[in-house]
Amino acid sequence: MLTYQIPLLFAAFGLYLAAVVLYMAHLKARRPLLWKAGFTLVLSGFALQSAVLVLRWLAAGYLPVTNLFSTQFFFSWALAATYIYFELRYRIHASGLFVIFLNLLLLGSVLPRDPAIPPLIPTLDTPLFTLHIIFSFTGYAFFAMAFSLGVLYLTQSRLRHPLLPDLALLRKVNEEAIFLGFCLFTLCMIWGSIWAWIAWGYYFSWNIKGVWSFLVWLFYAGMCHAKFIRRWQGKGYAILSIVGFGVVLFTYLGIGLLLESNHPLG
Amino acid sequence: MNTRSLPRATWRLLCSLKLAIVLASAATLLTMGGSLVMHYNPDVFGDMDTMVLGEWLDTRGTLTPGLTWWLNGAGTFIVLLGINTLCCFIDWARNFRARWRKSGEYLIHLGFVLVLVAYIWGSLGGFRSTDNRLLVGEEMAIDEMPGFSLRLEAFEPVFNDSGRPMDMRSTIALLKEGETVARQVVKTNSPLTYKGLIVVPGSFGRVAEGFNFFLSGRGRIALTPGTTVPLDDGGRLRVVRFLPDAVRRSDDQPVPASRRLGNPAIELEVVRPDIAPWRGWYVLREGLPFPLIAAGVRLWPTDPVYRSYSVLTINRDPGAPLALVGSLAMLAGVLFAMGSFYYKRARGDRPDIT
Repeated sequence: MLTYQIPLLFAAFGLYLAAVVLYMAHLKARRPLLWKAGFTLVLSGFALQSAVLVLRWLAAGYLPVTNLFSTQFFFSWALAATYIYFELRYRIHASGLFVIFLNLLLLGSVLPRDPAIPPLIPTLDTPLFTLHIIFSFTGYAFFAMAFSLGVLYLTQSRLRHPLLPDLALLRKVNEEAIFLGFCLFTLCMIWGSIWAWIAWGYYFSWNIKGVWSFLVWLFYAGMCHAKFIRRWQGKGYAILSIVGFGVVLFTYLGIGLLLESNHPLG
Repeated sequence: MNTRSLPRATWRLLCSLKLAIVLASAATLLTMGGSLVMHYNPDVFGDMDTMVLGEWLDTRGTLTPGLTWWLNGAGTFIVLLGINTLCCFIDWARNFRARWRKSGEYLIHLGFVLVLVAYIWGSLGGFRSTDNRLLVGEEMAIDEMPGFSLRLEAFEPVFNDSGRPMDMRSTIALLKEGETVARQVVKTNSPLTYKGLIVVPGSFGRVAEGFNFFLSGRGRIALTPGTTVPLDDGGRLRVVRFLPDAVRRSDDQPVPASRRLGNPAIELEVVRPDIAPWRGWYVLREGLPFPLIAAGVRLWPTDPVYRSYSVLTINRDPGAPLALVGSLAMLAGVLFAMGSFYYKRARGDRPDIT
């Protein structure tokens, strides 16, 4: 069953790449057909990614998110889902270029890695872990979306490009991404803490990943409040979205790759 | 500012949104830097999870104040943020009829305060104890909880097909004044819990507690402390002690060298009719002592007798139930806030600008 996963992943990568090309062509030629075709390719790529996720889930018997390949793949899938949600809800069109390009980088870094599903260690064999991971990466995906929207906001405030969404819509969508990301990440922290309590006998660990996860939560909790302060709206909020995603990236990848942690997932 | 407006101004400050952002930012920046100090000084911070924060700050934290001051600083900011959050929640509750649509957001506030209080409570009133070795059948008093003890009733290691240890199942009974108050098969993700006490598996092992021998005329027998073997002439052989790894002292007496199996020695007593009893050591590598040969005892050591033990982590966090209530409040708050968010967006509401 898993023999199909690599061709499917390459196909998804190809579809996302083609979508990026079409979105760029749309920026140049300004033909609605181009972004429609681009979005169709994104939907197709997402369908393939979803198929791979289902295949891997069925083969493993659990949601396989226990190594870097699996988590990056799941993060990429969640990011595509988040973009589709915003596209269908707000028709942000060309904003997709930033998000899908980010997704392309994420998926591209997955492809050279070993796709083998490692055996599940008993500590991870609990629905609490699955919930912790699902909400963690869907939260991260919304923060990544907010990062893209923040970059787009700063770009648009300088270029005033007619094909990009107006600043009011970008601000609204960015606030929604931060709010939903914070809600999902809160759920991630709740399930993770309950799991840590029953697995290790304490619900907060002083390992560097645990500390930085709390910092991510605190940072975005602050952002949920900052939107009510006039001086932080607009550019300030966009900059905070970019900085916040830096904190997320360090927590997810930086700690695992640059430092060491005794967190179960590095 | 007159004295009548001072309490109002103080209350406004305590409920201030800007104060919340300042405190959260200060705590975040301080902890970011501190976490790197923590990471690069594992000799100072490496054992933080083995004890509650209050105990750690009192013991390890005071030894290197230059490296740990940020914890006190960040802790102070977080506590102040908690007070600010509580004041916001009280302010909202006082105006509930006008602001009930914000219930989700303020349930998250309440949850945060409860979890924070629970953590402080657990850090000051709890304890953590690791590496508690308990042999099957053994009972161990919990020093921090007078009157309570744990008994390991059974133990079963779980291995995968390639023989790799995967899990451990320890049947643990919690006793209060000798009466069982809780019993649980403790395994990974399945702890024993009782009023803030939690017992989770750590690891397991086995110790040699005796040796199997081939005894001429009787076949294979296991000799462990307390075993008595009747002899043909009406006498008896009794095992007094067993040392898995013995070394001879200057007076030639074997004494324990380690708990691992190395140079096993067994102290025996032979009681025979009309002959004075003999008691002495049989160091297995040195051969049978003459009094045993004289008594007609022929022993050939075959293999050790092992007994399993479970290594348990025993923690108590009196704030844990409150933390659970706090997290449930947050969970309810998140669900309500998301529902309310979509409802407000559908109506075209925009956030307030202050």
